[in-house]
Amino acid sequence: MIEYPEIDRYASLDSPMHRFDPRAKIIAFLFLIFSIVIIPELKIVIIGLFFAIFLLILSRIPLSFVLGHLKWVALFVLSLYVMLAFTFPGKEIAKFYFLSITAEGLYTGSLITLRAFSAVILIFPMIGTMRFDTMIKALDKLKVPNILVQMLMFTYRYIFVFMDEFQRIGTAMRSRGFKLRTTLYALRTIGKAMGMLFVRSYERAERVYRAMHSRGYTGNPKTLVEFEIRRRDYILAVSIIGFAVSLHIISFFLP
Amino acid sequence: MKREAITVRNLCYAYPDGTIALEDVNMAVYEGERVAIVGPNGAGKTTFLLHLNGILRGCDGQVEVFGKSVGEVKKEEIIKDVGIVFQDPDDQLFMPTIFDDLAFGPINLGLKEEEVRERVKKALLTLGLSSYENRCPHHLSYGEKKKASLAAVMSMEPRILVLDEPTANLDPRSRAELIGIIKELNEREGITIIIATHDVNAIPELVDRVYVLNKRVIAEGTSHKIFSDVEVLRENNLEVPEVFKLFEVLRCFGYNCEELPLSIDEAVEHLTRTVEINGGHLHLHIHEHTHEAVRKLKSKYEHHLSNLRMKEEGAQTNGTKRSG
Ligand SMILES: Nc1ncnc2c1ncn2[C@@H]1O[C@H](COP(=O)(O)OP(=O)(O)O)[C@@H](O)[C@H]1O
Ligand SMILES: [Mg+2]
Repeated sequence: MIEYPEIDRYASLDSPMHRFDPRAKIIAFLFLIFSIVIIPELKIVIIGLFFAIFLLILSRIPLSFVLGHLKWVALFVLSLYVMLAFTFPGKEIAKFYFLSITAEGLYTGSLITLRAFSAVILIFPMIGTMRFDTMIKALDKLKVPNILVQMLMFTYRYIFVFMDEFQRIGTAMRSRGFKLRTTLYALRTIGKAMGMLFVRSYERAERVYRAMHSRGYTGNPKTLVEFEIRRRDYILAVSIIGFAVSLHIISFFLP
Repeated sequence: MKREAITVRNLCYAYPDGTIALEDVNMAVYEGERVAIVGPNGAGKTTFLLHLNGILRGCDGQVEVFGKSVGEVKKEEIIKDVGIVFQDPDDQLFMPTIFDDLAFGPINLGLKEEEVRERVKKALLTLGLSSYENRCPHHLSYGEKKKASLAAVMSMEPRILVLDEPTANLDPRSRAELIGIIKELNEREGITIIIATHDVNAIPELVDRVYVLNKRVIAEGTSHKIFSDVEVLRENNLEVPEVFKLFEVLRCFGYNCEELPLSIDEAVEHLTRTVEINGGHLHLHIHEHTHEAVRKLKSKYEHHLSNLRMKEEGAQTNGTKRSG
């Protein structure tokens, strides 16, 4: 089996985050994420990080699931951290041969790293607590441009179909003795297989379009949803946004 | 005479790359009828079906739906009447959930929200999918997807239902179920049915009339007429139902019948009648021509193989000629 990209695997759990109205949730979380990533103070970012972790725990999404995804982010962000530590100009605190670590570099590196982690952690209680299609509908209700909504919708629907298709091509190749190596031959074969996938995707797109056309597609498909925003949702959204704002107020008054 | 649901006159079509897919196709399907379009792979069946609601527009040919000429009236007019169920359910189900997919058509028809929900519910019920409303298509089995794609078209309540290879790749149970549903839609709601198919065993019980299509209409008639026409079958690489073959074998053993049964139901009826006429018995025997007749029969139905064999032999003789 291949692993599908299933960010919404735990959408059917029950938690305050799951019960949060999708539209209010998206707005509140996006506001929080953007406020955290522009905080200039390390101390405040740490508070933000703890708040992100708090919301994550509140959502009851298994930590192992989150860590599995965080792994890749960590790899990327930490390499950035190391680079910044060595290259940022400032007061030198250690030296390896001709490379030197600066205090400013460490500070900036930590700031960026923690901001990134907070943002990524917040993605989980935001998106992971509703089904992906619910999120798309919520975006639609929030008046996100229709073309973007459609792109998300079709990506979500067809990514699985394409992954299956790619796997079928892979299986067919392997069952005829193909081994993935770094020889020119192997690379060329992979290239051809990718080309094949493109052709098939193109043909599928044509067939899907025909099916849409047959059912009266006019350019902006509408969906029916029953979202109901309650007082609880307002309170939760306002608290989260309030917290985000107060982070900035604190950092403003900090010496 | 019932009125014509679909009329096709002098239709031809060539793909942009020059492939000629249809040539001078004429067809008339009457309201409430069930019609099959059969033909080998690449015969143009799918291409033909795409003309029925105006997705493809052939050269000066004409397609009329209940007297309205496709291309002259508004697109929605035609789409409302003609529902096409495509072969691959992954093409047909393009929305995130089954509910959204079923609602897609009715919303586009401009129906009110309540009516859309009503139609979705009805279509789900008709196909026994009520508990699937919120499922995503990629979590369904192939058979379920196939039923869902039919439901997605049924929610538009078309008067003409067009199906491209509806029974292909289905397991026996899903296949029987789908055939049952199609028949019921026709019998209960009077929906006109047009099916492109390879599945010869399904044809006799599923349709009233058959068109053999291979770029042009090669033959037209009842299942009995088509399956008795050995020439047409051979030239278009078509099979006959297994039941039909079996009764041809029985005929070699002295079973007496004029019109051979094509389906199990017909066979039961036929046997009952024959046994009753013969005073409670069925009389079979081996006479001097039996073996000869069976051999002839077998070679008749091995035309796919014998064609191949002839080609191979041809290739071999060519080879020897060249080497010699
Ligand atoms: N998009 C296309 N472009 C060019 N040729 C096509 C295209 N689709 C089908 N054809 C060709 O048109 C002919 C009829 O195809 P099709 O209608 O799919 O046949 P069937 O459904 O009976 O198998 C075939 O020769 C096929 O190769
Ligand atoms: Mg076809």
